[in-house]
Amino acid sequence: MAETVLFWIFFVGVLGAGFAVVKSRNPVNAAMSLVACFFFLAGVYLLLSAHLIAILQVMVYAGAVMVLFVFVIMLLNLKDEELGRERVTVWKGIGTLAVAGAIGLIVVRAMRDAYPAVARDLAADQLSTGFGTVRSVGRALYLFSVLPFELTSLLLTVAIVGAVVVAKGKI
Amino acid sequence: MVGPLHYLFLAAALFALGALGVVVRRNALIVLMSIELMLNAVNLTFLTFSRFPLVRVAPTQTGFLSGHTAVFFVIAVAAAEAAVGLAIVIAVFRSRTTVNVDEFDSLKF
Amino acid sequence: MEVSWLYLIFLLPLLGAAVNGLLGRWLPKATLYAIALLVVLLSFCIGLFAWLQIARLEGEAAQLHQTVFTWFSVGSLKVDLGLAFDRLSGTLVLVVTGVGFLIHLYSVGYMEEDPAQWRYFAYLNLFVSMMLILVLADNLVAMFVGWEGVGLCSYLLIGFWYDDETKAYAGRKAFVVNRIGDFGFLIGIFVVYLYTGQVSFHALRLAPLSLGVASAAAALLFVGATGKSAQLPLYVWLPDAMAGPTPVSALIHAATMVTAGVYMVARLSFLYVQAPGVMAVVAIIGILTALIAALIGTSQMDIKKVLAYSTVSQLGYMFIGVGVGAFAAGTAHLITHAFFKACLFLCSGAVMHGLHGEQNMAKMGGLRRAGLKQTATTFFVATVAITGVFPISGFFSKDEILARALNTRAFDFLTAWNPEWTNVPVLRPLLVGLSQTRLTFLGSTVYVVGTLTALITSFYMWRCYRLTFEGEYRGPHEVHPHESPWVMTVPLWILAGLSILAALIVLPWHGLSFTWEHFTEGVFARPRGGAPAERLPQWLAFGIALAVAWTGYLVARWLYAPGLQGDEKLSSALPRLRRTLANALYVDAFYDWAVSKPLFATARGLWRVVDATLIDGLLINGSAQAVAAAGSALRRFQNGDVQRYAAVTAVGVLILVYVFLVRG
Repeated sequence: MAETVLFWIFFVGVLGAGFAVVKSRNPVNAAMSLVACFFFLAGVYLLLSAHLIAILQVMVYAGAVMVLFVFVIMLLNLKDEELGRERVTVWKGIGTLAVAGAIGLIVVRAMRDAYPAVARDLAADQLSTGFGTVRSVGRALYLFSVLPFELTSLLLTVAIVGAVVVAKGKI
Repeated sequence: MVGPLHYLFLAAALFALGALGVVVRRNALIVLMSIELMLNAVNLTFLTFSRFPLVRVAPTQTGFLSGHTAVFFVIAVAAAEAAVGLAIVIAVFRSRTTVNVDEFDSLKF
Repeated sequence: MEVSWLYLIFLLPLLGAAVNGLLGRWLPKATLYAIALLVVLLSFCIGLFAWLQIARLEGEAAQLHQTVFTWFSVGSLKVDLGLAFDRLSGTLVLVVTGVGFLIHLYSVGYMEEDPAQWRYFAYLNLFVSMMLILVLADNLVAMFVGWEGVGLCSYLLIGFWYDDETKAYAGRKAFVVNRIGDFGFLIGIFVVYLYTGQVSFHALRLAPLSLGVASAAAALLFVGATGKSAQLPLYVWLPDAMAGPTPVSALIHAATMVTAGVYMVARLSFLYVQAPGVMAVVAIIGILTALIAALIGTSQMDIKKVLAYSTVSQLGYMFIGVGVGAFAAGTAHLITHAFFKACLFLCSGAVMHGLHGEQNMAKMGGLRRAGLKQTATTFFVATVAITGVFPISGFFSKDEILARALNTRAFDFLTAWNPEWTNVPVLRPLLVGLSQTRLTFLGSTVYVVGTLTALITSFYMWRCYRLTFEGEYRGPHEVHPHESPWVMTVPLWILAGLSILAALIVLPWHGLSFTWEHFTEGVFARPRGGAPAERLPQWLAFGIALAVAWTGYLVARWLYAPGLQGDEKLSSALPRLRRTLANALYVDAFYDWAVSKPLFATARGLWRVVDATLIDGLLINGSAQAVAAAGSALRRFQNGDVQRYAAVTAVGVLILVYVFLVRG
């Protein structure tokens, strides 16, 4: 019961915040809406028993990435008149229709057949063993996907260096 | 009751919103944020299938947690990509004083 | 009988050519001469040794054979370099190497001052080697190797002084005209192989052939012979070939290469007797060539050109011989002709040598008394031989051919038209008439025309002798004619002597064991139609021949006693005829107009239309331009608008989703 209520609250929140991101003219507003979206999403993740991921979502995504976004927005310091109005072009219309059509097709055709029988709910057996907790996800990461894990650190190093190099004034 | 299809629908709607933002908006920063929305939709899909699996026995060694590990890496990559993308926006802004993507058109014939 | 040393006969001159060709430039002259002469002499000795062996054997066994190696073996076709030394080919080997040796010796003196002697002797040796391969080959393909080889050497030697454009072009003309004939020869080989699966003479002798196939093969191979042996219509290269050094003219264009066509027909006698229609054609072309060439020879002023046309004419006689089925007589004339024609050419070379290169008879005269006694005497003997005065050999060989032509029955059963050939209704009455006309008269006609030609031959040869050696000297006074050195006169005497002695082998009385006819019993096939008739008693035929030869001599002596006045008298009497004959019936101009010009025009047209416009313009440049245009058009999609790219990507995603979800 509680789960249903919470889900629908989070549902509205995510979609509302997402819509606000796409609609906002001011990037600061969009950034704040995005943060709100991430929080609601973290709630949804908790409903899915993805505890570690939810925490990481808040810490990394909402906490670090969005802060970076806001920093950059502030740095650019765009005045209101510089922001300009949206232009309506043919291609934007075509693109919108294509996106709507593609997602619509997937929703209508795929999701109907996505779960043919009654879905297996992991609630009974798996959840008791700590599904989605830090320990189990950590074990999965360190025992069975160490190489991608280490390579990700390399990736992050590359990204840091790249960002610094690209954004510098003089090399 | 809230079943897997609800979560999947939420993910699909979120993805559509993100794609729309990429196609429609002119501001580069908004476009980047829309990309983040799409990535999060994908994360949600991963976690949904991880929680409501379609098979009886786990296919890989990580078990049903392979979705979580995937999301882990997606978050890391998204962070890296956001950093580099924002650096590029800064660099472009420095020379052109605009962040409207339809004015970045020098890569043409 | 299988032996293992036959290949030395052609290999030794080949090695001589290789050594002289590769190293000759730096060898001392004596070594050069020694190598060149020695290899030919050794070939002659080995050939003599082989000849003596087979002379003792009888009938079918009288041949030596060697398969040198298997050249190639593809599918069911296996071609060896096989050598067959039988009575015919063996004797020819002796002729080629013997006369070849004498000419090599002569060349030592004649080419003394030439700077490129090493090249000359290398080519000459190579020629001898190739000719020997041709003669000794035991299958059509190996013969063709020799056939082509002598053609190549002919080209190399005619254009020996290639700095002179005319001479180089003469060589090219010889090669190109030969090539046309070779094309026919090659198609002939293909026809033979297609219908019998064999190319070796031994196997072909036993293979069954229908009339059509035999005729086609025989005719095509004869096309090759018309090219190589300078018959109508492919004789035009031989007069021009006189641009080469005179010993070359003597060896290649008198004694050996040009006789290859006759040899081929004689060798394939078993094929030709199965195609009597083709034999008739051979005889007709032979007599026509003989007559026309003799007529042209009466009006030439260049001494070598007279002898060139004489060669063409005498080759016509040889083809008459093999055409009427008298293969022995035809090949006998081949042998005697080799001797006296080579002698004639070498004499003319001695004359030119003594006059420092003068070839125009208008500037000669009285050379016998002026110092060229030996040359004059040998020339006289050879002229007697060619005109056919008893008892010199030419008399017997040439007139034997004519007698056989008269008496032949080979055409008695041939009709002028075979009703199976075509069924055109309009021509039916004519065709019916032709199909009932028998060609019995062909032999007699050939005899009459041939005797007339013999008269003309006697006339122009004695004209040539008189203008050159008798009368008053008409040349410039600074030039003092002198006799040639011994290396040049000794071959002259030997060849003159052989011209006389060769009479022994062509004596026409049957039963004599040392005659050529008896010697080659069993080598040649007999023509259909039966044994020869006796249309004219033998003494009468001989009498006519002798009378003809004497008449020619007397007329020439009377006309040309004082010198060139004979020509002037004839020119005033028949001016247009003389001019036409002097210009060789304008055949070259005709070929140029009828063949060369259309060919060049076609080639030019093809170049402009097909090559330049179609292939270059349309396909090559056109395709490139099409690609460039397409690229220019497609380039416009890249306008730099990122959001347009994103929209297009979304459309693509929609299509993919549709295909995979809806269409499955």
